[in-house]
Amino acid sequence: MFGSFIKKSRAKSPWIMHFDCGSCNGCDIEVLACLTPLYDVERFGIINVGNPKHADVLLVTGTVNHRNKKVLKNIYDQMPEPKAVIAIGACGLTGGVFREAYNVVGGVDKVIPVDVYVPGCPAKPEAIIDGVVAGLAKFAQKVEEAG
Amino acid sequence: MSNLLTLLILLPVVAGLVCYFVRSSAVRNLTVVATGAILAAASLGLLGQGSFEPLAVGSFLGIGSDFLITVMDFALLGVIFFYGVKHRNLLIQGFTLAQVVLLAWFEIVMVEHVDVPALAGDQLSLIMVLVISIVGSLICIFAIPYMKEHEEHLHLKKSRQPRFFFFLLLFLGAMNGLVLANNILWLYFFFEVTTLCSFMLIGHDATEIATRNAVRALWMNSLGGLAFVIGMMLVYMQANTLNIAAILGGASQGALMVTGVGFLCLAGFTKAAQVPFQSWLLGAMVAPTPVSALLHSSTMVKAGVYVILRFAPVFAGTLLSDGVAICGAFTFLACAALGVGQSNGKKILAYSTVANLGLIICCAGINTPLAISAAMLLILFHAISKSLLFLCVGTIEQAIGSRDIEDMRGLYARHPRTALITVIGILTMMLPPFGVLLGKWMAIEASAGNIWVVIMLATGSALMVVYLARWAGSLMASREANAAPERQPLLTRLPLMLLCGGAVVLSLFSPWIYNTMVAPMFNAPPFIIRFGSFEASTGAFVVGPLFIVFALGLIYAVKAASGFRKVRIAPPYLAGSNAGEAGTYIGPMNVPVPFSTGNLYLGELFAEGKLTPIFNALAVALIVLMLGGAL
Amino acid sequence: MDTLILVIIGLVAGPVLGGLIAGLDRRVTAWFQSRQGPPITQAFYDVAKLFGKEKMVVNQWQILCSWVYVIAAATSLALFFAQSDLLLIFFVQAVGAVFMVMGAMAAKSPYSQVGAQRELLQVLAYEPVLILVFVGFYLVTGSFSVSAVWQVDQPLLAKMPLMYLALGYALTIKLRKSPFDFSTSHHGHQELVKGVLTEYSGPYLGLIEVAHWYETVLVLGLCALFWTTNVAWMIVLIGCTYLLEILVDNTMARMTWRWMLKRVWLLGIGLSVVNLIWLYAG
Repeated sequence: MFGSFIKKSRAKSPWIMHFDCGSCNGCDIEVLACLTPLYDVERFGIINVGNPKHADVLLVTGTVNHRNKKVLKNIYDQMPEPKAVIAIGACGLTGGVFREAYNVVGGVDKVIPVDVYVPGCPAKPEAIIDGVVAGLAKFAQKVEEAG
Repeated sequence: MSNLLTLLILLPVVAGLVCYFVRSSAVRNLTVVATGAILAAASLGLLGQGSFEPLAVGSFLGIGSDFLITVMDFALLGVIFFYGVKHRNLLIQGFTLAQVVLLAWFEIVMVEHVDVPALAGDQLSLIMVLVISIVGSLICIFAIPYMKEHEEHLHLKKSRQPRFFFFLLLFLGAMNGLVLANNILWLYFFFEVTTLCSFMLIGHDATEIATRNAVRALWMNSLGGLAFVIGMMLVYMQANTLNIAAILGGASQGALMVTGVGFLCLAGFTKAAQVPFQSWLLGAMVAPTPVSALLHSSTMVKAGVYVILRFAPVFAGTLLSDGVAICGAFTFLACAALGVGQSNGKKILAYSTVANLGLIICCAGINTPLAISAAMLLILFHAISKSLLFLCVGTIEQAIGSRDIEDMRGLYARHPRTALITVIGILTMMLPPFGVLLGKWMAIEASAGNIWVVIMLATGSALMVVYLARWAGSLMASREANAAPERQPLLTRLPLMLLCGGAVVLSLFSPWIYNTMVAPMFNAPPFIIRFGSFEASTGAFVVGPLFIVFALGLIYAVKAASGFRKVRIAPPYLAGSNAGEAGTYIGPMNVPVPFSTGNLYLGELFAEGKLTPIFNALAVALIVLMLGGAL
Repeated sequence: MDTLILVIIGLVAGPVLGGLIAGLDRRVTAWFQSRQGPPITQAFYDVAKLFGKEKMVVNQWQILCSWVYVIAAATSLALFFAQSDLLLIFFVQAVGAVFMVMGAMAAKSPYSQVGAQRELLQVLAYEPVLILVFVGFYLVTGSFSVSAVWQVDQPLLAKMPLMYLALGYALTIKLRKSPFDFSTSHHGHQELVKGVLTEYSGPYLGLIEVAHWYETVLVLGLCALFWTTNVAWMIVLIGCTYLLEILVDNTMARMTWRWMLKRVWLLGIGLSVVNLIWLYAG
């Protein structure tokens, strides 16, 4: 019974950690907009935490470059399982307009496995919330598969 | 009975002489260990026989023992005067001369020399004897390997250990004499012997700073000696007897008597290093660590506390009593505050000691059965925990070459055993269900009727938690799975383990200790013991059940924690820029940059230099008030 | 026997009530900010999820210390329900606080280290106030035990109103509310990431959360002792107090430890002393 309650709780309490990999801040502002009374993601139990050790979901915005890929990897590694990664915005998905720049690695999935891609430039808050919900479904599925 | 007493007082003296004259280290080590074992056994034997009425000692080789003591008294004052001249210290010379004159007048003119039973043992004395003989002996044993290494560092041509162990053991004998004395002149004699011993031990290393601090200790304690003589004379004028039991039983509270006891309390204050006399005890930190442990936990400072507690019944209910309580509580608060600003481990311990002595003295001043019980339990448990901590600091200092707690940060990684023992020692100083906290709890409950005292105790105890907890926390760290185990000489480890075990196990038995050792002192004991708990109408402390709960909880927690290598070990969060090595982050040019963390010492609020003069001035004012209240 | 039943009630009610209060807290906060907020049972979901996370530590001390923290917190609430000695309850509670600080200091992380130091300063701020409040209880009832408080025939609030205000400071610190949430806070970001809790994660963070629930109930229980003559008024008193706490939390900025020490020591201890003098005189 307790086990099933834990399983149910995972979906009801996704704590997110937001990492700005090199974004123009457009997507970041939209992420923060989710917390405002208009969108109020806390309804779903979502809390924005500042510490990967407490986080379930990693939201990454912006292009990954050679300088910050280590940081991204480190933060991802410090998140305890089960966890999900959501890449946000054109840059996070593929590197966006900076894709061809000499210092850019590309999208987030070049460094860490990504579960959900939320497109847009910038991504809309509704889309981000939707992405988080999709991410939760994904990691529920992952937990199920892992047994 | 009298054999045991002789053993307790004279054996250490004899053993000390052996150490002094036989320069072989094997003989010395054996003597110290054997003396320690015999003393411990004798003190337990004495406890087994229970408290005893005052008894006469009779003569020694045909010379009356009282006369012998008198002669030695003057000889002792002569020695102290000699050192006063040698170090060109006018204060010591003045105080000693004044003592000689007053004492001579007292002995020759005032006192009718009748036979006074010289030794007595009540519950208080017995507890003190236990502390001195067992804790003190363990410290002496610890000193054997410690001094060996200490002298190796100093590269001495000729070992000074014989002198060191002579005074160390003499100290134990003097302390046992002090707490068992029933003749006030005997008490005075032993009081002075401890003064001399501490002077010798503090100055043992003979460096410039050691000598300076030793001289300071000597003049402050000579002042105490002078106060003792004056107090003794005043008390005699009223009570007309040297017999302490008779003085306590007389129950006369004339002005002379109370003033006299006031001066005795002043003597106790200097001995117990109460503010404004704390500086000699802080200075005593330059001595080798076993000396600090001996001075601070079981002997020297406890002598002062003992004198005040001994005479506490005389001033019950007087203004002096309130004065003593307030002075004690003030010292508690002041030294707790001063301790917060310190990073030197020994200084922290010194301030914490002075603070705890202040608490005990405060209890003596409150003077209810509850408060006196608190004082006695505090004497016992504080001695164990504090000597343990001093020995830990000594061990750590020899291992890492520093006594600063910032340098001890992460000690667990390299010296897990010492670090754990230190942490346990610190916890026994400040958390339930351990004995020191039990005493503190009783003290706060006893002082609830005195608003200023209780405010100072409440604030002081919070300050104390801060500097002890942060020290304990900073000792812990990660340890590599295959790190080399810690090595220690047996004679270092044994006292540490025994004291650590004692601090924990005796706390568990504190209800029993209270029942057998403290409760018989009172007609109406403040507590009844049920299910291993202290119960009274004013409150209850559930020692036994708490111990069970915490023991089970801790076992579970330790079990959970010991499997930690199976769970994922992650480096601490460093905003994602952890470098490969622990304690570094990736800095500019991809170079690992080490970082360090440190404790917050609140220098702006608790600066020693700024606060000490203020506290000293306030304390002087309070002491004047206290003595004024006695008049 | 009655005591045992009370203890069991306390041990069970602690987390249940504590969790509900935490959920209610977030709900009311959301209401103040004209949001909908999470469900009332959100705190339970959070903790259950934490228990289901992977175990991850810096070293063994986080495991040990989080367990001791929760045990000490539960024991102190059990003692409270057993109507034991108030000072003892407080000292047992302090065991948990000290261990949590030690666990945080065991990790070489700047955030948790600084958070631990600040946590100790918070202990330094509220401890004297609480002890003085207990002395106030003693002066009114003649005993330090909780059971004596139930025998008064007039609410203690009438005799110790200033003490109740002083207790408010301790309550705000203990509940980690603004302006005193600088060692760690319930809200998203602060300059210390999560302060003293940074290095506790997964199940161990869950344990600490449970311990916090126990402590919340304990501190509110202390407030309840100010009105023991009538249960309805007691509930009103606690309700109003907690509502006020949330209001303070939402309207105050986070302040520094200097500000806290000065404020709490001067005002908190000052109020207590004035009230104590009344009681002595009375």
